[in-house]
Amino acid sequence: MTTLLAASLATLVFCAPGYPGGAGDAQPLLDQFAAAAAAASGWPAGSLGAVYDPTEEGGLAKLASSDAVLAFVPYPFYVEHAAQLHLTPLVQADMADIGPQQRWTLVAKSGRLTGPASMPGYLLLSTAGYAPDFIRRSALQDWALPADVKIEFTGQVLSALRRAAAGEPVAILLDQTQAAALPSLPFAAELKSVTQSAELPVALIAVVGSRLAAPRAKALQEGLLKMSHSSGSSESLAPLRLRGFVLPQLPSRSVP
Amino acid sequence: MKKSFFCGVSILGLTACATQPQPRPPPLPSAQPQPSTTLQLVAAIDADARQSDHEPDAKVRAELAAEAGRDADACLAREPQAAACLYGSAIALGLEARAHPARAGESLNGMLDKLARAESADPNYDEAGPARVRALVLIRAPGWPLGPGDTEAGLDAARRAVALRPQYPPNLLALAEGLAKTGDRSGARDTYARARDAAQALPDAADREEWLREADQGLKH
Repeated sequence: MTTLLAASLATLVFCAPGYPGGAGDAQPLLDQFAAAAAAASGWPAGSLGAVYDPTEEGGLAKLASSDAVLAFVPYPFYVEHAAQLHLTPLVQADMADIGPQQRWTLVAKSGRLTGPASMPGYLLLSTAGYAPDFIRRSALQDWALPADVKIEFTGQVLSALRRAAAGEPVAILLDQTQAAALPSLPFAAELKSVTQSAELPVALIAVVGSRLAAPRAKALQEGLLKMSHSSGSSESLAPLRLRGFVLPQLPSRSVP
Repeated sequence: MKKSFFCGVSILGLTACATQPQPRPPPLPSAQPQPSTTLQLVAAIDADARQSDHEPDAKVRAELAAEAGRDADACLAREPQAAACLYGSAIALGLEARAHPARAGESLNGMLDKLARAESADPNYDEAGPARVRALVLIRAPGWPLGPGDTEAGLDAARRAVALRPQYPPNLLALAEGLAKTGDRSGARDTYARARDAAQALPDAADREEWLREADQGLKH
């Protein structure tokens, strides 16, 4: 029985709402990563599979499957769904360009927002808009959003920024990469960063419920942590813009 | 350009939009294996793009991209301002973007530049191809700041293509795709229906079947 379990196929579900790319495009890279992760962890070859879904709904549907034992998700997704999915963080992604943590920045039309009190009636748009708990309780925990601020997901950040620059009552919560690129926009002078989050994890790999036996999870954690030091493994990290993994460094109030 | 989480998996299926053009120059004479005229070079790029579309082997796709790039360079050397060569060069860059994802941003920006110049030279080329392909690149490419994708600009380009050639189904399909991406479901549905009607009015051909299939798929969403 133990042998059967050890050899059974475990699936790692990648889900990144708001980020570009389709499942078909991603699959070869995920296969390469899964094979390298399994090898680094001493799991039998072929015992770890990976699938990708670019939508929240699709990711949740895939995670509902009993063979979905691991989730590789952005931190906002984790905050939003960790309790429901019983996610236990295993490792934290160390991204090639920004590291394991990032700050989120709230941007609005210059001179319009002086504090949360000036936000009633605003629409807050973000690639993390599918995760309102993350926005209210993590990214903007020191900026108490009025209850009537509507939070919406957008994959069209540039359009949202144009709306704000044009004077619409729209604020945009940008991730670190987006915020860093803001000055390059021709209408950047029309926008202003009004508040910034503390450093928060970028993405996590988490165990789903009790679907992965503790010894296998421990072996995988150790394998993932050493992937960046092995030339064979690191080749599978670079296409995913990963430098490697670190132990989870979650803020104290990660999950509502 | 900084990248973000999972942008490494954002390799585009841009060949699909790069190979929308349907110019049908005559087949190359068998006695003349190396294309040398502008028409032959453009035909060779088109053939590479079509083959790449159905080629599962990444190595072969890379070879096709390289071959198309050489033909595009030769074409531009002969006629640097010709819409056909600028358009062919844009298509070759689309193949390059797919074959070498790490350099995709550079290739896509080059593609957009070539398409803009092709549109200036001859907006009607390939049934308003420069505006149509530009629309598809802008609609499908990763958006700011990861890539040159800009749905609003893509919609504008698709509208230009439709204005020039309103009955050409791929122009309508591009517009419908842009409308769908911006959340205008009603507009997208209407435009997919127009694309289907326009395709049905054409003689039976492989392209027509593909356009009908795409329109029907769009109408299901």
